[in-house]
Amino acid sequence: MAAPHVIVIGAGSTGAATAHDLALRGLRVTVLERGEIANCTTGRNHCLLHSGGRYCVKDQESAIECIDENLILRRIMPDAMELNGGLFVALNEADLAFREKFIEGCEQCHIPYREVPVKRALEMEPFLNPGLLAAVQVPDGVFEPFRFCLAFLATARHNGAVVRTYTEVTELARAGQFITGVKVLDHRTGKTQEIGADLVVNATGPWAGRIAEMGGVEVPVAPTAGVMVTVDQRLCNLVINRMDKPADGDIVVPQRLTSIIGTTSWAILDPDQIEIPKAHIEKMIQKGRELIPAIQRRVTRGVGAAARPLIRKANTDEREVSRTFECFDHQRDGVDGFVTISGGKTTTARAMAEKAADVVCAKLGQRAECATRTTPLLSYRLFYN
Amino acid sequence: MAIQVPIKVFRYRPGTAPHFERYQVTVPDDATVIDVIEGVWAEHDRNFMFRHACHHASCGTCAVRLNGYERLPCIVPVTEALAGRQELVVEPLRNFPLVGDLVVDVAGFFQKQAASGLVITRAAEATLSGQPFAHSELFSQAGALEERAYNRFENCIECGICISACPTMAATDKFWGPAALAGIRRATLTTGDCQEKAALLALADSEQGVWRCHSAFECTESCPQDVDPGGAIMSLRREIVGRKVKHLFGAG
Ligand SMILES: Cc1cc2nc3c(=O)[nH]c(=O)nc-3n(C[C@H](O)[C@H](O)[C@H](O)COP(=O)(O)OP(=O)(O)OC[C@H]3O[C@@H](n4cnc5c(N)ncnc54)[C@H](O)[C@@H]3O)c2cc1C
Ligand code: SF4
Repeated sequence: MAAPHVIVIGAGSTGAATAHDLALRGLRVTVLERGEIANCTTGRNHCLLHSGGRYCVKDQESAIECIDENLILRRIMPDAMELNGGLFVALNEADLAFREKFIEGCEQCHIPYREVPVKRALEMEPFLNPGLLAAVQVPDGVFEPFRFCLAFLATARHNGAVVRTYTEVTELARAGQFITGVKVLDHRTGKTQEIGADLVVNATGPWAGRIAEMGGVEVPVAPTAGVMVTVDQRLCNLVINRMDKPADGDIVVPQRLTSIIGTTSWAILDPDQIEIPKAHIEKMIQKGRELIPAIQRRVTRGVGAAARPLIRKANTDEREVSRTFECFDHQRDGVDGFVTISGGKTTTARAMAEKAADVVCAKLGQRAECATRTTPLLSYRLFYN
Repeated sequence: MAIQVPIKVFRYRPGTAPHFERYQVTVPDDATVIDVIEGVWAEHDRNFMFRHACHHASCGTCAVRLNGYERLPCIVPVTEALAGRQELVVEPLRNFPLVGDLVVDVAGFFQKQAASGLVITRAAEATLSGQPFAHSELFSQAGALEERAYNRFENCIECGICISACPTMAATDKFWGPAALAGIRRATLTTGDCQEKAALLALADSEQGVWRCHSAFECTESCPQDVDPGGAIMSLRREIVGRKVKHLFGAG
């Protein structure tokens, strides 16, 4: 008997990692993506392979997810990352007061850290604000989002998955309480087509609510936008973070010959229409300069924005919402054969995939353990083989 | 301030005749050309096909021909692209199979890129904007501290711009092309293994290799990342010839 067929909608980090996990467990997988791989949130994120340091005080569940996944990804995806670490720096008395909590948080979340004397920090990072009062190093890293997704998808394809880009899901096919497949518009040909499936996974990030709606169910995903400003100079080797609870413009991520300053956070309605407030760009430069005074507006290279697929909880302030993920089996809403995986981060994509694939396999009676923790990924370039 | 940008874009689907269509797109005055291209999709035609991801010249997906020259639209300000012109003209890269509208098939290109085996990270240079930086103690793969060089991504973002600009690529597909040869050159510099280096040089010396290049240097001229593929090809030629000469005199 042929293995069950699963459709994964979306080829951002969540869909890419989910396709890989499912293919590795022996399922037949088809990925449907309306545009290029990683053309949305994943492609335009801050590229930070989180150590968890950013969340270790306020959101320890996320912090632990981050460090666990960080240490796994280092081993399975060596070729699409800069593994230089990150520094959390205190610039004023308030930051300094946060230091103890920060270190306690690192310990509670088993994040490796070391305190770096100020003089040494300035030797490591000569462009850092010379007035810094304390620095702590953690294993942050930098990934390249497009290639991050390609690596998962290259491996998925190697294990039999089919990846169709420029193929937009327009409807979900339904028979009684079952989702039986999808209707797509293939932009390459302009033709519509129905594709049957034993199960459909909704991995569309901030669009998850829209796809869920097609299936007649609701998911509490709140698209929350953020801006990043890239300057045309590499001014640090490590990721530079402000030692404080997460706030606007408190990270500078180096990438190639550039530095990316981020980010802000505001709720939006339509993730396809993000208008970047000019004030946010100025704020990034201004806050970035507190960390690295050499940052200048005139060498801005690119400005981007994307929408986080945050899971809405009772709480309303988007900075306070947990950055963890959730998998929804819509059977609980009376619709079977339909699963949504959303929230989370690119850093935790593999763990999200594991959770989604566990649910999918249980539903389909596919008995297979998750093997993605230890399976090395293929080179991203092999996606095109 | 919002501005209206007139744009003329290449439209194509397999089995239909390629043609241009004109649109007006509204963007903020500090937008880049990728915002205008995205605007064609968002404001006018949700079937319009284009590639994009990072919007800061790192993924390499969005390369097109803008006003007749290969560019990364994500880092070209609209005002600069419009200076002295009535409208923007956007076409897909040349020397790649067309898929639809601005999208080209990059599979063959990435297969060639894979030939060098070059990993996209490398040890960071000893200086950063001219300033030296100290040796580093970094967390290892297992999360323990170890001494190791800082690393960073290679400059080449595999955007395909040099392929589109290269006159040799226009004449034949049987050429590694500027980016892959630049990759082979980088790999010869980073490998410590003599055999591997010899194999890389043999690749560069092959029928598809450096001798097909007409030294037009269009690649170096158009590369948005200062990779200088033309220079890499010349270096490979010198090294290959040097080895042959040595060999001829029995020193190899
Ligand atoms: C500003 C910002 C900065 C961030 N920084 C970081 C960071 O530094 N590190 C980190 O780990 N995480 C970061 N994140 C979080 C991370 O980017 C997201 O959690 C992650 O990218 C979500 O991935 P996804 O695959 O779920 O969604 P997406 O990447 O948005 O993918 C969803 C995909 O679904 C597709 N799709 C939608 N509708 C359809 C349809 N009808 N048919 C077919 N396909 C469809 C879309 O085209 C899209 O490609 C950041 C997020 C934001 C907003
Ligand atoms: S060498 Fe330059 S132009 Fe060619 S693919 Fe690389 S970055 Fe693009």
